[in-house]
Amino acid sequence: MTDAKKQQGDRLSEAEAIERAKQGDAEAFESLYNLHKRRVYSLCLRMTANTAAAEDLTQEAFLQLFRKIGTFRGESAFSTWLHRMAVNVVLMQLRKKSLPLVPLEETLETEEEAPRKEPGADDPRLAGSVDRMQLQRSIASLPPGYRMIFLLHDVEGYEHNEIAAMVGCSIGNSKSQLHKARMKLREILKTSRAEKAIKP
Amino acid sequence: MTCEEFRRVLPELGSGHRIEQDAHLKSCGACSDLLEDLNAISREARLLQGSEDPSPWVWNSIEVALRHEGLIRQPQLQHLQTPVPMQGWRLRWLAPLVATVVIVFGVLIYQRGTGQPQLAERQPPPAGVVTANLQPKSAEVMGGEDLQLLKTVSERTPAMRATYEADLRSVNAYIRDAEQSVNSNPNDEVAQQYLSSAYEQKAMVYEMALDRSLP
Repeated sequence: MTDAKKQQGDRLSEAEAIERAKQGDAEAFESLYNLHKRRVYSLCLRMTANTAAAEDLTQEAFLQLFRKIGTFRGESAFSTWLHRMAVNVVLMQLRKKSLPLVPLEETLETEEEAPRKEPGADDPRLAGSVDRMQLQRSIASLPPGYRMIFLLHDVEGYEHNEIAAMVGCSIGNSKSQLHKARMKLREILKTSRAEKAIKP
Repeated sequence: MTCEEFRRVLPELGSGHRIEQDAHLKSCGACSDLLEDLNAISREARLLQGSEDPSPWVWNSIEVALRHEGLIRQPQLQHLQTPVPMQGWRLRWLAPLVATVVIVFGVLIYQRGTGQPQLAERQPPPAGVVTANLQPKSAEVMGGEDLQLLKTVSERTPAMRATYEADLRSVNAYIRDAEQSVNSNPNDEVAQQYLSSAYEQKAMVYEMALDRSLP
């Protein structure tokens, strides 16, 4: 596709693109894709921690969206509709492929994962600064159950009641998983920072 | 409030704290640091939203699927020719052959782009390769094999001819754009991947056209 055509596609307003996509306009589909591809793909990538799987899921999410675009009446924001659909596609795929999801209700806190219980001990803090690259790596290393709730809440901005409905757990469980995920991330980040400080 | 009590209620804490929690945070550096760290993680995490770009391959695949599902609509040309029953069978063997030729050709172009950019413009193409496709503008025009494919499709499934014609034009345009990008910047890996992907797309169109149009 030429740059000129790409820019033209990007200039279409979202509302206009939606209406034209309903009529089968190729440029409108591409414009909608360009508007939302980064967020959808990022979500898929972080959920699966696998580039190929993330691309397949992104493709599937957009195809589902475009197949149903005729039913979009504008009651909610298009982005809300799209991202909810993307989340559903990812969750469905994770369930279908039986990826190593830790069942939420069965996730037990192990000794290793438990937050340190000795306040005031040698507990170096992150001092309010978090390295983004390291955070990305740390998220990828989280157990899948923790990772999913953390991504939906802290990255995607869903509320606990929405997450509970999407994932099929209680609101309390969602809160608990999120807290454990943050605590785990803090531990990973602190360890990483300490290791970096030791290395010459 | 003790540290243990504070950490027990921590998962339930929203943006606001109760008086007793605030009092504990003021008096306990460890819990205060913990809360600040968790908030910092949360703040930084929000910045990860939409931070990654998918490869161009994703849109190419979506577009091909949309066209084949009829969601991208083209003006339909109706060809009311009587199908020739054995024509498709005679051409069936062409599907893997054409796909192979297209992929091999794509790989050759890719290798020329990565390995010997300085020679790519001087050396003649190797014998046996469809040289017409090496010309920058060749992709705009339907080649003989494209026309043969469309003929086969129109004989077997006339209603799909317009769709496949549009697909071929589209994928030829991708190839042309990608070739131009690779020619203008032979070391651009993204452009080379794009070109390789464009050839794969064309192979896919051939396979689908022949699979669907044959009995």
